[in-house]
Amino acid sequence: MAVFFVAPYANMLLISFLTPGSGQPYALPFTLANYARSVTDAFNWRVLWNTCWYAALTAAICLVLAYPLAYRLARARGRAKAALLVIVLSPLLLDVVIRSYGWMILLADNGLINQLLRKLGLHPVQLMYNAFGVVVGLTHVFLPFMVLSLLGSLETLNPDIELAARSLGARGWQAFWRVVWPLSLPGVFAGTVLVFVLAASSYVIPSLLGENAVLTMPLLIAQRVLTVFNWPSGAALAMFMSVFVLGLVGVYAVLMNRAMRGLR
Amino acid sequence: MTSTLALKSVTRRFGKVTAVDALSMELREGELLAVLGPSGCGKTTTLRLIAGFERPDGGEVYFGDRPVSALPPERRDIGMVFQNYALFPHLTVWQNVAFGLQMRHLPRVEVARRTAEILGRVQLGGMEDRYPRQLSGGQQQRTALARALVINPQILLLDEPLANLDAKLREEMRFFIRSLQRDLGITALYVTHDQAEAMVLADRILVMMHGVVQQLDAPEAVYRRPATAEVASFVGLSNFLPGEVATSGGGLLSVQTPHGALLCQGPDLPAGAPVQVMVRPESIRPAAAPESGNHLAGVVVERSFLGNLTDYRIEAAGATVLRVQVGGASAWSVGEHVALGFEPADAWGIPDHG
Amino acid sequence: MGRGSRWLGVAVGAVCVFLLLPIVVVILTAFNAGSYLRFPPQGFSLRWFVSFAHNSTFTSSFLFSLELAALATALAAVLGTLGALFAVRHAGRWANALRLLMVAPLELPAILTGVALLIFFYGIRLRTQGLMTLLIGHTLICIPFVFLAVSVVLTHFDTNLEEAARSLGADGWRTFLRVTLPLIKVGIVSGATLAFVSSFGEFPISLLLSGVQATPLPLQLFDYLRFSFDPTAAAVGTVNIALTVSVVLLTERWVGLESLYRGGRR
Repeated sequence: MAVFFVAPYANMLLISFLTPGSGQPYALPFTLANYARSVTDAFNWRVLWNTCWYAALTAAICLVLAYPLAYRLARARGRAKAALLVIVLSPLLLDVVIRSYGWMILLADNGLINQLLRKLGLHPVQLMYNAFGVVVGLTHVFLPFMVLSLLGSLETLNPDIELAARSLGARGWQAFWRVVWPLSLPGVFAGTVLVFVLAASSYVIPSLLGENAVLTMPLLIAQRVLTVFNWPSGAALAMFMSVFVLGLVGVYAVLMNRAMRGLR
Repeated sequence: MTSTLALKSVTRRFGKVTAVDALSMELREGELLAVLGPSGCGKTTTLRLIAGFERPDGGEVYFGDRPVSALPPERRDIGMVFQNYALFPHLTVWQNVAFGLQMRHLPRVEVARRTAEILGRVQLGGMEDRYPRQLSGGQQQRTALARALVINPQILLLDEPLANLDAKLREEMRFFIRSLQRDLGITALYVTHDQAEAMVLADRILVMMHGVVQQLDAPEAVYRRPATAEVASFVGLSNFLPGEVATSGGGLLSVQTPHGALLCQGPDLPAGAPVQVMVRPESIRPAAAPESGNHLAGVVVERSFLGNLTDYRIEAAGATVLRVQVGGASAWSVGEHVALGFEPADAWGIPDHG
Repeated sequence: MGRGSRWLGVAVGAVCVFLLLPIVVVILTAFNAGSYLRFPPQGFSLRWFVSFAHNSTFTSSFLFSLELAALATALAAVLGTLGALFAVRHAGRWANALRLLMVAPLELPAILTGVALLIFFYGIRLRTQGLMTLLIGHTLICIPFVFLAVSVVLTHFDTNLEEAARSLGADGWRTFLRVTLPLIKVGIVSGATLAFVSSFGEFPISLLLSGVQATPLPLQLFDYLRFSFDPTAAAVGTVNIALTVSVVLLTERWVGLESLYRGGRR
């Protein structure tokens, strides 16, 4: 079992680090040229920047949308809780391609939303094959992960804590902002990191809802590997992207740690 | 008497901690032996060594005259009741109890007969199809007992079986377990930290501390003639009056103390040996004037009425505070001078190594 | 409290609508007679399902995906459970390493895993683009789900239960079969459900490892959608949704939905 499992992974690391010079799929000698090319190419930086920007935006929107839901879910009991859970989990369980298709039906130039706009006598808007469509799709796909992460934090929170804050004279909003929100920060952290990483490495959504207008790192890597057949370059790009994303997460973790200092 | 179980200088270490240190003991056929000690004294480890969940680092465990250290638990023919009962949550009461019989590949008819019989014994008839979570604490406890007993094991091991019950039920269950064990004539080892439980249940008590046997004796002997000061303090309340042996012989000691010469029972000791005279609170009688036997003078500093007895703290010479308990109501008040008397037969001399 | 909770209710409702909207739209499109979903709908029809049934690329992809997901789930259930048993029951460096490894496929972007596997299979001369390579890839993706779900159950597992079984005369193997396995079944089943569902919908790994003769359904659908908006895709999607829902419902009947979310929680 160890052999079956470890081998591909060990090899993956190996190959990614080896990055031999260009040839048919790949060949000797060892070189750093692929890395050099990956890092110096301004185009790669722009794609990476786009990727991270969409992912961050998605994480932020997910947080805003998921919070009320997770909060409600943490306090729900019995049947209401089960029903909410089903709604949250169901998109998670469905094929991403199908969900993207659902959004295509809604957002297309002559999709449902634009039909509605026309009926109201308004100008149709381009909702798909641009950043907007991609971010909507990404948000939809990763929202459940955010809800579950937040739920983990909010559920362990003693509801009496909020009541205690109220008893001390805090208004509803104050009680939330001063007590509930800081205590839920670990969940916020876990959720945003998770969504950010998942969104940054998503393939289907940017490709279906972005088509040619939006290019992200995963698309670029797949293109290098599948279409251009330049495996070393693809592997180098993959490493480049992983390191960069991990670095961003690291910086974020340091910042969050500072905010959460009181919680440990 | 034949011994059913014997431990010969069994040692078990966890890292640097020696949980059980060269422990030797024997269990006689049909007796219930209580292993009593504070938490962390090694009593549960001893039980697990006997059950086979732990392997000794040294020494040997014998069932009869057969060494069993190499045998896995399932081949030792033991029945075990766990502190948290460890009932299989996915099986009904009936299935839980029948489990051990099925593992022994007994014919279906016999499994059914014996399961029904034991369930009747522990008054769980009619509960066969319930799951453990549908039972009260007491019922779960009896299910665990039935499951361990039905296989008719050579030795029944009980690990704090009553610790999770409320006080009233715990007391009832003591007598229940006691009579069940006697009726079935089963040999049992009972681990507990509750001295009252050990007193009620056991034929003999093994007091264990720091992985070492302190004393192995009948309950009354453990109470009246503790081997060490630690045993005396752990089993019931006690007063200690330190002094030196003046004369000794014939099981009687004369001890020189700051309170004067005191007579007590005890082992023969050389003159001048340091010794602690132990007296139980209920053996001391407060009186207006000294009576026969040992006596010392004191002042009442605290009095609490507990219903069935009155509890005093009385200060004697050298700022020694004695606990004294008198049956029913008693009317000495705080600040009063009293003479405290006790019989030499109620006092016990313990060699003082500290 | 009153006004605040009303706003909360509205917000929750809106998010729920957002979550369900695309799924509902797909189902409506599938049953709609026209080739586009319009307001008002153009009447009920099963023609797109018929079109799906007659489209042999779709049906064979569908069956292939089912087979792939079932095999990968079965493999992952065994390996994930064994891994969890080892990782939870043992302390030390090996157990920690195993724990990291078992969840790694979930943490690392699937597209990277796909690239790595593609290069690896080429390197070891394993015929790429077949059931075998896809199966290995999908099993890797499935293992973390089972591993996590079983680990959660095992950490709350009372080892006294196994000792009780041993004291009653059950040997190690029978203790596992009669006591341990039934009690961790909840974790295995809920983990396997998530594994099946994610294998069935897995895209990036399949993209890199599949070939002409073996195309899983999501990939087929993806290719189709790049060229046409035909509601046949909606019918395929609806069948997919029905399948997923029935798998989840089966799990619910068996071990309860709550366990699915607890076990599957990261």
